[in-house]
Amino acid sequence: MTETKSPLTHAVDPSLLSSSRAEKLRLEQEAAALEVKNLNAYYGKDHALKNINMMIPAKRVTAFIGPSGCGKSTLLRCFNRMNDLIDAFHAEGEITLDGKNIYDKRVDVAELRRQVGMVFQKPNPFPKSIYENVAYGLRLQGVRNRRYLDEVVEKSLRRAALWDEVKDRLHENAHGLSGGQQQRLVIARAVAIEPEVLLLDEPASALDPLATLKIEELIFELKEHYTIVIVTHNMQQAARVSDYTALMYMGELVEYSDTDTLFTTPAKKQTEDYITGRYG
Amino acid sequence: MNDLANPAGVAGKLRKERSLLPTGERLARLRRWRNIKDQLARYGIGIFGLGVIFCLGLIFVYLFSEVVPLFRSAAVTQGAVYAAPGPIDGVRTAQVASDRHNSLGVRLTDAGHALFFSPETGEVLEQKILPLPADVAVTARARAEARSRTVAIGLDNGHVLIAAYGFDEVFRGGARQVSGSLEYPVAVDGDPLLDVAGDGTAVRNLAVQRGARGIALAAELADGRLVLVRFEETRSFLTGETTVERKQYELERPPSNAAITRMLLDGTNRSLLVGDADGQVHYYDIARPADGQVRDSRRVMQDPNAAVTSMEYLLGSVSLIVGGSDGSVSQWFLVRDADNIGRLTHIRDFESHAAPVRAIAPEYARKGFATADADGTIKLHYATSERTLATYGGIGTAPRALSFGPRANALYAVGEDERLHRLIVRNPHPEVSFSAFWQKVWYEGRSEPDYVWQSSSATDEFEPKFSLVPLTVGTIKAAFYAMLFAVPLAIMAAIYSAYFMSARLRGYVKPTIEIMEALPTVILGFLAGLWLAPFIENNLPAVASILLLMPLLMVAFGFIWTRLVSAEWRARIPVGWEAALLIPVVILVGWLSVSLSPLLEVALFGGDARQWLTDVGITYDQRNALVVGIAMGFAVIPTIYSISEDAIFNVPKHLTQGSLALGATPWQTMTRVVLLTASPGIFSAVMIGMGRAVGETMIVLMATGNSPIVNFNIFEGMRTLSANIAVEMPEAAVGGTHFRILFLAALVLFVITFVMNTVAEIVRQRLRQKYSAL
Repeated sequence: MTETKSPLTHAVDPSLLSSSRAEKLRLEQEAAALEVKNLNAYYGKDHALKNINMMIPAKRVTAFIGPSGCGKSTLLRCFNRMNDLIDAFHAEGEITLDGKNIYDKRVDVAELRRQVGMVFQKPNPFPKSIYENVAYGLRLQGVRNRRYLDEVVEKSLRRAALWDEVKDRLHENAHGLSGGQQQRLVIARAVAIEPEVLLLDEPASALDPLATLKIEELIFELKEHYTIVIVTHNMQQAARVSDYTALMYMGELVEYSDTDTLFTTPAKKQTEDYITGRYG
Repeated sequence: MNDLANPAGVAGKLRKERSLLPTGERLARLRRWRNIKDQLARYGIGIFGLGVIFCLGLIFVYLFSEVVPLFRSAAVTQGAVYAAPGPIDGVRTAQVASDRHNSLGVRLTDAGHALFFSPETGEVLEQKILPLPADVAVTARARAEARSRTVAIGLDNGHVLIAAYGFDEVFRGGARQVSGSLEYPVAVDGDPLLDVAGDGTAVRNLAVQRGARGIALAAELADGRLVLVRFEETRSFLTGETTVERKQYELERPPSNAAITRMLLDGTNRSLLVGDADGQVHYYDIARPADGQVRDSRRVMQDPNAAVTSMEYLLGSVSLIVGGSDGSVSQWFLVRDADNIGRLTHIRDFESHAAPVRAIAPEYARKGFATADADGTIKLHYATSERTLATYGGIGTAPRALSFGPRANALYAVGEDERLHRLIVRNPHPEVSFSAFWQKVWYEGRSEPDYVWQSSSATDEFEPKFSLVPLTVGTIKAAFYAMLFAVPLAIMAAIYSAYFMSARLRGYVKPTIEIMEALPTVILGFLAGLWLAPFIENNLPAVASILLLMPLLMVAFGFIWTRLVSAEWRARIPVGWEAALLIPVVILVGWLSVSLSPLLEVALFGGDARQWLTDVGITYDQRNALVVGIAMGFAVIPTIYSISEDAIFNVPKHLTQGSLALGATPWQTMTRVVLLTASPGIFSAVMIGMGRAVGETMIVLMATGNSPIVNFNIFEGMRTLSANIAVEMPEAAVGGTHFRILFLAALVLFVITFVMNTVAEIVRQRLRQKYSAL
């Protein structure tokens, strides 16, 4: 943590920035999980993403921030091709995962989505038991072995810090859980199928502060195993949980660097304006 | 306003920040008006809601009020008791009867009186004398079917007199006047007395019947001879003159040596039944009287010592009611066995008497009868419904004569004390019983008990058959085949259009299917009955091959499209429009099937598929369950489709996206998340469709053939509760049993749909609780 005093009036208290880091992060030194090359995306005639080039570092937390409609969710959803579900959407350019372009015609989208898990803004457990929710992804892959399922369900729920709260009612309907628990269940469900990348689309925006805190702690633990990309409206949250932050505006990537740098010494005026609350 | 009330400076300030909301009185007025509207809406909605429930309740109440009289029990009450009209000292009553208005009665005596009297008071109004010779005694009495009003009197000199009484109605000055008449239907050379014995031997037992083929007489003489006499009317086609030919035959005695107690002839002159003191009834086949012989002898009493003490045919002279000295009352009739020989068969028992049964009186127009025992207790029974309806405490002594008024609303009984009891009978719906509606009933002339609905027929002797089983089964059958056709199509269509189809195509498809709902069912029924039914009959192989090939070829086309067609070609069809590609496939399969049908018919079914079906033992009706299934399926598809489509479409996007994001294919998402979440909606769609199919009338009325049969053969028709009501209500006499039973059928229909909807609602609530998506 650099103690350089910033001349800016920060919207984010610098003390929030992850002080546990032993050394300064450098994007150039990271291994890439995803690489975005010349990505342009359109909703019909609306040019939603304009020539995005970036690299998502493996086993780190990358946050996308920016005002509403800036394209950060669109970009996130490009990583697992969820945008394909929108009729008028089409994308040009390349996103590589493990060196393969995920927009290649031969890519099995279902398999891609297994590798790139996603958690949505609103907790969306299926109307099934807690156990079945977590086992869902495995069953999709054809796993039948009960003992293996039990094992994975427990492991995933532990990893999502939910096990202790639900271990006695695994076979009750997931809708009986609180919002925060549901969101952690959804995370458990996502990690059960061992993804490489976990996309979080404003995962805490529908939760109360306490539940939000738990999710944030969870994200911190999860990055040990997964590459995490998080979209958030909440700059404090981005500052708290992420290693790298990208600011987007009007479909363009404005600035992308390690979180400390971006929040303390932004390279662009636009970034400074945004994080000091002059717009957004 | 505020400006005036406030100092100018303040007003200036106020003006700047003046609220745009209405103030003061205006606000109060607005609030008041808003309150009134709110109250009006509240009470208005409440009143109309309650009104709907009230109207539904009224329908229920009305149905009940029409049905309840069916289940009121019968009653026999005393009308009047008086000394038998006319002389009673040493004069024995042979027969009593009355006209249909119970305004004139007749009492025939052994002394040869025909006394016409007022049933109200017993006052003799008219007296006629039967031409019985002096110094002879009456030794036997017999009565033909009640409605023929014919009696026979056997004398100790071997002669028999056949007499018919009548009630002639005339309207004079607007008032009905009834006068008695007496005639002798057979007279040889003007003499009504027939010498049956020929040698002066007394007549011991006698039976007479007057049917469509003339009058027949059977007599047992004191010396044991059995004589059968027939009077056949032949009409000369040249002169138009009627000549009566008398033929006399002698029959052998019954195999048992017991004394003959009763004899009966049936209306068709084909059988003679002889009951004896040994408790047996012997059946003589006298269709060819010259070689008439005993075909069957049967013990009709359970008690080995009991004798047959009385025996009577019910209306139509098919059913035999046997009363025994043990007080038992049972029904028998001839049932043909494997060798086509009639066997007397026990049909059912009725409530027993405590004393020997002495008299049986059949009703004039129904299958009911009354029995009286030696103690004078009278019971009212009904054959078809297997019920003993009422018991009357008694007339004190054993009955000498017992008869119904023609409308079965009065019963006349004369006891050994020669007192006449006029009883009032209230018995409007004896045909009704649980067993008559819901169990197999052994109807007259049938070889075994069965479920039959046949409410009316051309003859008076007809036994109405009111089993609700064929109608209920028919209703379920029609609904079943309709659902079999509609549910898979409608739900699969709903799945496709809600989940896979492009929004624009869905915008065309959904309203189109929904508009089918507006198609009047009478048009569907008409098309089904007049076009589809003959079409299917003529193109059976086509129908079979369409059912078989359509799904197969659709799948095959799907395979070709996804696997064999190049990606470039595939890319030309926008996502969600693939279904449109199937249209030519469907048309092609349909056209091929129909045009190849005759060839298939020749190749596989010997040129006539229908005949082939008949040959393999499958009955084929032109208007059958297949036609109804398709036509009614067509009618319920829009309902099921529309509701389940909405249910599937409304599955929250975040659930489907959640599933897809976990690496599920669209199909996996469909089956594991979407259908599960939409299941309450789909279930209620199916149940609403089912409710519609159960209650649907016009289509089944026009396309089923309305044959009330009990089976699930797809190639036979059915008659449903609703169609039955539509068909028969116009011809049912208001207030009659048939009429009320139709209301009962309506109530049954109501109950079926009510139970079904209730179960459906419970299941739906459970599903919703389990799978509701927040």
